[in-house]
Amino acid sequence: MQDASAETERGAARPRAAAGGPPPGGGAGFGPVPPLPEPASPALARLGARAAAAAFYLPPLFMALFFLVPSLMTVVWSFWERTMFWMEPAFTLFSYENFFLSARFGNFLSSIGHSSIAVVICFVIGFPIAVFVRRRIPEVAQHRVMLLFILPFMVSEIVRTFMLRPVLGRNGLVNETLLGLGVISEPITSILFTPTGVVIGEVLSFLPFMVFCGFLAMEAAPKHVFEVCADIGAPRWRVFKDVILPLAAPGVFAGAVFILVNGLGVALIPNTLGGPGAVNAGLIATQAIIALDFPLAMAVSAIMTLTLIGLLAIGHRLFDLASILEPFK
Amino acid sequence: MTARLTRRGLMQSAAALAAASALPGAARAQSGPLSIWTIGVAKVGAAPGTGGKDWSDMAAEAGIEIAYNAKSGSADQAIQKMIVGDGDRLYDALTDNGGGMEDALASQGAIVPIDTSRIENWSRLLPLYDEGATAYDTIRHEGDVVAVPYLSNADSLAFNHSVIGEELTSWEALFDEQFRGRAAMQNDFGPTLTNTAIYLKQSGRQDIENPSDMTPEEVKGVAEFLIELKKKGHFRTFWDGFQNGVDLLASEEVLVSSCWEPVQIVAMNKAEKDIRYGTMQEGHQTWNNIWMLTKGGVARGQEDAFYKLMNLYLSPWFGARTLLTFGFGPQMIGIEDEIADNPDFTPEQKATITNRIERKRERYAVEGNSWQNVFPTHLRAYQDWWARVQGA
Repeated sequence: MQDASAETERGAARPRAAAGGPPPGGGAGFGPVPPLPEPASPALARLGARAAAAAFYLPPLFMALFFLVPSLMTVVWSFWERTMFWMEPAFTLFSYENFFLSARFGNFLSSIGHSSIAVVICFVIGFPIAVFVRRRIPEVAQHRVMLLFILPFMVSEIVRTFMLRPVLGRNGLVNETLLGLGVISEPITSILFTPTGVVIGEVLSFLPFMVFCGFLAMEAAPKHVFEVCADIGAPRWRVFKDVILPLAAPGVFAGAVFILVNGLGVALIPNTLGGPGAVNAGLIATQAIIALDFPLAMAVSAIMTLTLIGLLAIGHRLFDLASILEPFK
Repeated sequence: MTARLTRRGLMQSAAALAAASALPGAARAQSGPLSIWTIGVAKVGAAPGTGGKDWSDMAAEAGIEIAYNAKSGSADQAIQKMIVGDGDRLYDALTDNGGGMEDALASQGAIVPIDTSRIENWSRLLPLYDEGATAYDTIRHEGDVVAVPYLSNADSLAFNHSVIGEELTSWEALFDEQFRGRAAMQNDFGPTLTNTAIYLKQSGRQDIENPSDMTPEEVKGVAEFLIELKKKGHFRTFWDGFQNGVDLLASEEVLVSSCWEPVQIVAMNKAEKDIRYGTMQEGHQTWNNIWMLTKGGVARGQEDAFYKLMNLYLSPWFGARTLLTFGFGPQMIGIEDEIADNPDFTPEQKATITNRIERKRERYAVEGNSWQNVFPTHLRAYQDWWARVQGA
């Protein structure tokens, strides 16, 4: 309110010449009021209304064109027959057999396991940050603070991932420091080129997903709920477990899905930080493409897409994911 | 070889003079920049030991204009672009692996036969490509020359001599338990399974007919050998990507690694350690990279420019520079003559080139070498067993 009145004063103090002459309607010094537009003709009004209605169909059209159609084509192609250089129409389950009945399925499950651990760690680190920003930072500064978490995304993912090598490696910063302090006598080699390295890489790359989604979900939590909790002297742990977490569950779930799907799909992290042969679904598909086994690559992509849709369906059933957009309604 | 070179050089110079005076087409203006689709290391700079900041040095030396388009080294990209996609419309010439890609693209009509008479330096081509020699098929399709080789190598083992303190001459070292947890191989079933197969065959540990084209049973045996080692924690990692390979060696994360020679050279320079590239007594996977002329390139009248560029690629000018900068094997004879009295090269650079040529000759002379096969007959067995190695 103070801001508004200050603005009014500043507006009133503006020189008339700069404001473009006296206000025609005897306004309070805000400058000239533009004339109202002429009423549109009924035909134009109808056209405008139709255009506005049509605009609502653009997002679904966009999704259909760039998500649904490619996804369906991926599924269809996954049943085709491999040829020497491409594939030909057929209906065969060979690519799926080739995925589920080979070592690839085991590799896929392992990468789900590693990504799940990354999700848990991201939750443990990222969600408290979201809660803290939402509850302790002044409202006007909250979004600015959240912007800080975008900064890591401004650095290339390759650079972000690769720079962990001189930190976590045999002769890296961590080992050199611990050796220098006398904490260890031999370099620790179980950090890099192991599943631990992959999990660390995923946490550092995908943590902002949990922070953003958690923050968004916390915006749906009314402030008076916390005031009531404080009034009745509820312990912090009970507030977190019984109030914050249930309210933020849709956001936390959305963040978890983002992290899991990226962990399964981004080939760079297991490639750079994983041990011998560390793979995820993204790498399995990439290697299939390199070997010109396009139906197998399509099958892996289809399995990934179905996994994502399945997770979202479960999440929606459990947590009503639409509620994450509640503050914007 | 030097005497032969001199004779060839004289004959070639005479032929070049005759061709230049007899062919008015040679002076014909280029219809537009030659659109090439290739890898970054296909170029060198005019200053010896440099990669060139762009393609201007190569264009100036060839006397043409070049429009460069970046390409990865994986086979799928060229197949998709040239056979299924719009590569023919976009590119006049492209590079890829010999020993498979030339057959794939020629059989689909994406590339055209090469008129070797239009490449003056063709007479300098290594005897490796003569009829009956090991690399004969890698540039031909159904008997026709469809590609021009521009670099090759015999991939080997890089090792940290500063730490190990001895010369390694057998793949045995890569699999030896003294390097448990300090060994790496490439995350690519082609070179990794082939080099392992060469070792297993030549050491008598497994019966393998052709390490470059194994049967499913043979692939299984090779993969199981790697799986057993992997379960013991022998490999630190399987590297993927040039910088990744360099970093592993330079940081001493691994002491032995099967890798490309440029990886060893950059790691050695970066770490300033004595990281060497050995000659393995069992043999090596040998390979080449080739230039091909597209059907679209011919339709757009780019043949003259293409042949001028190919002439440069088969000249000692290029050979000496790619050998010095990247360690890639030149495809022509006459390097020693090129550098002998050439003031552009320092004495150290000349010594490096001479040393590398000698070591390459040693590696190429090993009997157990096996030429790269981009599309082995049982490709699916390679894929499936590699997935098991990864998952073990």
